[in-house]
Amino acid sequence: MNRSLPLIILAMAILAFATTLLVIVPKFQIGHEPAPAGLHPYTAQQQRGRDQYVALGCVYCHSQQPRTPDQAPDAERGWGRASVAADYAYDSPHLMGTMRTGPDLMNVGARLPSMGWQLSHLYQPRAISPWSIMPSYPFLFEVKDKAAPGDTVVWLPAKSAPPGKVVVAKPEAIDLAAYLIALDRTYPVPSTAIRDDGYAKHGAGR
Amino acid sequence: MSDDRRPVDERFEPYEPRRRVPLPVYWIAIALAIWGTLTLWRDAHAGFIAGRQRGDEAAADTRRAAAPGADLFLARCSSCHQPDGSGIAGAVPPLAGSPLVKADPSVVVRILLRGIDGPITVAGQHFDGHMPSFASVLDDDQLARIATYVRARFGDNASAVSPSDVAAARAWAAGHPGPWRGGDEIRAALMPLLEPQPAYVASLIAAPDPSILALVQHGTGGGWSCASCHGDLGEGHGDAPRIAGLSSPYLLAQLRAFAGGARTSDAMAPVATSLADAQKIALASYYSQLATPSASVPALQGALDRGEALALDGDSAKGIPACFSCHGSSGFGVAPAFPPIAAQQPAYTAGRLAGFARQAKQGSHALMPSVAARLDDADRRAIADYLATLPPVPTGTAPPAEQH
Repeated sequence: MNRSLPLIILAMAILAFATTLLVIVPKFQIGHEPAPAGLHPYTAQQQRGRDQYVALGCVYCHSQQPRTPDQAPDAERGWGRASVAADYAYDSPHLMGTMRTGPDLMNVGARLPSMGWQLSHLYQPRAISPWSIMPSYPFLFEVKDKAAPGDTVVWLPAKSAPPGKVVVAKPEAIDLAAYLIALDRTYPVPSTAIRDDGYAKHGAGR
Repeated sequence: MSDDRRPVDERFEPYEPRRRVPLPVYWIAIALAIWGTLTLWRDAHAGFIAGRQRGDEAAADTRRAAAPGADLFLARCSSCHQPDGSGIAGAVPPLAGSPLVKADPSVVVRILLRGIDGPITVAGQHFDGHMPSFASVLDDDQLARIATYVRARFGDNASAVSPSDVAAARAWAAGHPGPWRGGDEIRAALMPLLEPQPAYVASLIAAPDPSILALVQHGTGGGWSCASCHGDLGEGHGDAPRIAGLSSPYLLAQLRAFAGGARTSDAMAPVATSLADAQKIALASYYSQLATPSASVPALQGALDRGEALALDGDSAKGIPACFSCHGSSGFGVAPAFPPIAAQQPAYTAGRLAGFARQAKQGSHALMPSVAARLDDADRRAIADYLATLPPVPTGTAPPAEQH
């Protein structure tokens, strides 16, 4: 191959340019964003639930990044304000997701704070929303004849309950529900917070 | 035999002749570079626009918060007490000449903080007192400015009320939850020399049944409880609306509509279906009596000035009537058909308006769908955020103390 050295130098320069703009500069921009006062680190239980969230692949259908009103009507959908970099301060790895087959979950703990609702919904989403295409997760639950003391019994509408049995949540289900309820970024953020302002237009509200 | 069999030069190395890069490649590269630069510039410009909008909105919020007492009076008091403080005969007591305004500053401040729910006599006229508490929607500084303005203008008293006075009264009010029970309680607690006041007749509705409280807190048969989504005191959160202080017939109608499918909600349908009608009635009555402070704050980045204009005056150019023309002055609702909208959770209000607009698209000609269809996204957010800044409807009783 002729002139291989210039070619390699050019290729490396393009790679270095892309790495600088896409990795190094953003790291300097947002790497030092302090966690907002209203955001708390995950508890051990919530972290276990987060691991469940990763293991079950929730991220393939659910994003965790509400958009600005300029980009999508996420606020009206009840998904909360547009997220800012600081909201992810304790997320490692982040679970922003790209697909929105299901609703955004960044603030699901704010709009559906009921542990009972979350457990019923994980056991059988169609018990609550007949049109839902979310998979059910029966393996996070046990179907028993009778609940033992200390069991978390899952309430189900009569049409979805197994006849004569009770559905009891395993610890995995409770951890996952605890994580979902902890997803609540409704605290205010300072106006100086780093955020995505793409698509902002004149006269389109702030 | 052809000449092709001439000997091949075994030492020949193929090579690439030096050729100029074709011109179109340069053009494409230059065009891409220009496009990339323009994209970066546009993005930076969007960031600049958004930053300026945030700055403007922050300035507007500061202006609203720092508005002088006269502006606060116009925005917060004049829709009932009238801009000249004369009140409405038979409905709203006058401020001008009222002995309560002329009295010690703590009287005005404490009425502003707690609101009034009960009969009251002012200057010989009898009124059915029904004033909201401003404790949850105005800070000490703003309350001090309103109180100072009202006392200076209508009480002929120029002595200023300081924010620390309000803070002291607020600390006192924390120990006295719920609205003043009419002029009777005010006279007994603050102004023994006030003219005789009508007796406060306690509401005949009995304390809620323990089984209803269990339903509220723990649900039925292990089901989801009311409080698990709507908050311990029905204050709402996000999508889950504030239900405290809504009228009992309205709440009951909604529960029945959820159960019957006339109003669709995946979260409410299973709950409403599992409730007996007697439980629905009891729950509607329980929540209608809760005087829960507002927990709603603007959250949708709506323009509050626009929201205030739409709520008070509507927008005749777009054919939008004022919200308050049906939902009552101050958004307190007109029972039973028009629910209170003041202090509602903004995500719920905006989502419900968007839902109404969708119904209009599907061919509904009902009142709310046709109004909501004329609101655009920014208007819905503006209204929702503005309503979240209002004090809640003054109603019934203080929340049970043990639930605080």
